[in-house]
Amino acid sequence: MSLPPKLQEIVDDFASMSREEKIETLIGYAESLPPLPERFKEDRAKMEPIPECMTPVFLFGEKQADGGVIFHFDIPPQSPTVQGLACILATGLNGCKPEEILAVPADFFAPMKLEEAISGQRLNGFRGVLAHMKQTAVNLMEK
Amino acid sequence: MSYAHPEYLVDTEWVANHLADAKVRIIESDEDPLLYPMGHIQGAVQVDWFSTLQHPVRRDFVSKEQFEEMCSKLGITNDTTIVFYGDKSNWFACYALWLFQYYGHKNVKIMNGGRAKWEQEKRPLVKETPSYARTTYSAKDADKSIRAFRDEVLIHSNARKPLVDVRSPKEFTGEMLHMPNYPQEGATRGGHIPGAVSIPWSQAVNEVDATFKTTEELVALYEGKNIKADGDVIAYCRIGERSSLTWFVLKYLLGYPKVKNYDGSWTEWGNLVDAPIEK
Repeated sequence: MSLPPKLQEIVDDFASMSREEKIETLIGYAESLPPLPERFKEDRAKMEPIPECMTPVFLFGEKQADGGVIFHFDIPPQSPTVQGLACILATGLNGCKPEEILAVPADFFAPMKLEEAISGQRLNGFRGVLAHMKQTAVNLMEK
Repeated sequence: MSYAHPEYLVDTEWVANHLADAKVRIIESDEDPLLYPMGHIQGAVQVDWFSTLQHPVRRDFVSKEQFEEMCSKLGITNDTTIVFYGDKSNWFACYALWLFQYYGHKNVKIMNGGRAKWEQEKRPLVKETPSYARTTYSAKDADKSIRAFRDEVLIHSNARKPLVDVRSPKEFTGEMLHMPNYPQEGATRGGHIPGAVSIPWSQAVNEVDATFKTTEELVALYEGKNIKADGDVIAYCRIGERSSLTWFVLKYLLGYPKVKNYDGSWTEWGNLVDAPIEK
């Protein structure tokens, strides 16, 4: 199964970028991650963050009337890399059906060659956030 | 009571007053690699732990020759005073400082509070990457007195000499094997090295502004767990980065003469066949 079109587009864009362009684009995504909507603030206080290394990541999913899922994040500005990776995932997957989200392979980002810009170790966060988005999608399916 | 070696620490004000000092090189070393390109202290260069300081093939640091090449490219001479700062309470700054000491660089300092304090004080950050005239740096042979390897850690553990496990309490008890979704940082067994005491690294820094705690607080913290100045101390964590902060605290803030960082840490020990483990 192919990736959702928007996510595929982002993957293709990154694949053709130089190292500098990748860094700039990642910063752009980090800076455009929307703040967590007010309506989640109460739940946020009760939640445990995704156990990322030192970066408290909070993730919320909402099911739309058409069955698509919208993701919201709360990630501190001190962690722009995680913000950027989360924003790429939200941009690429928001509005997708849970089945489409579950079908995204864990290593979908390999062609982006992000390790040229931020070293492979940091991409663990990508896998971590995607895994939690999938879990959230599963929980929403059951609702 | 002041720190044992206060010359290894400078405050943000000192750095602000030395931005144009040719004898000083400021190095940013972060956990998050985008922070530097988004804005750094004027004149600071970036040393990235994973891409710049690690050996490209084996699990080790850059070789002496690679270290010399890196310093030469950054315009560092053997006499340059290097000030390290970074995110996450300076843990990667301490890691970088530790490696510079490993290759014999003498004049090294940590900017107390790191990026967090600099930003809290609303001091300026710039985006321009500086370039410095190339130098010819000559490193010393690796100083193994500050780096522990697994065989000596085993002897150390068997002799019940002081070992400090600076990971989170759940990692120490073995309840949590590794950070979820961090496959390269995993271990097949959980627990800690026999004889180690648990003193999470973060207890040495103030949460608010990432500065180090006072001498009195640090003495109470470590001596309270029987980690004393007269012992041979080895600190470890998961990959050796958090424990380099503890190493810095014990060696320079408290002045313990014999402290080593075991960078193999739990990712080595917890995968090592026949290694004893306590839970």
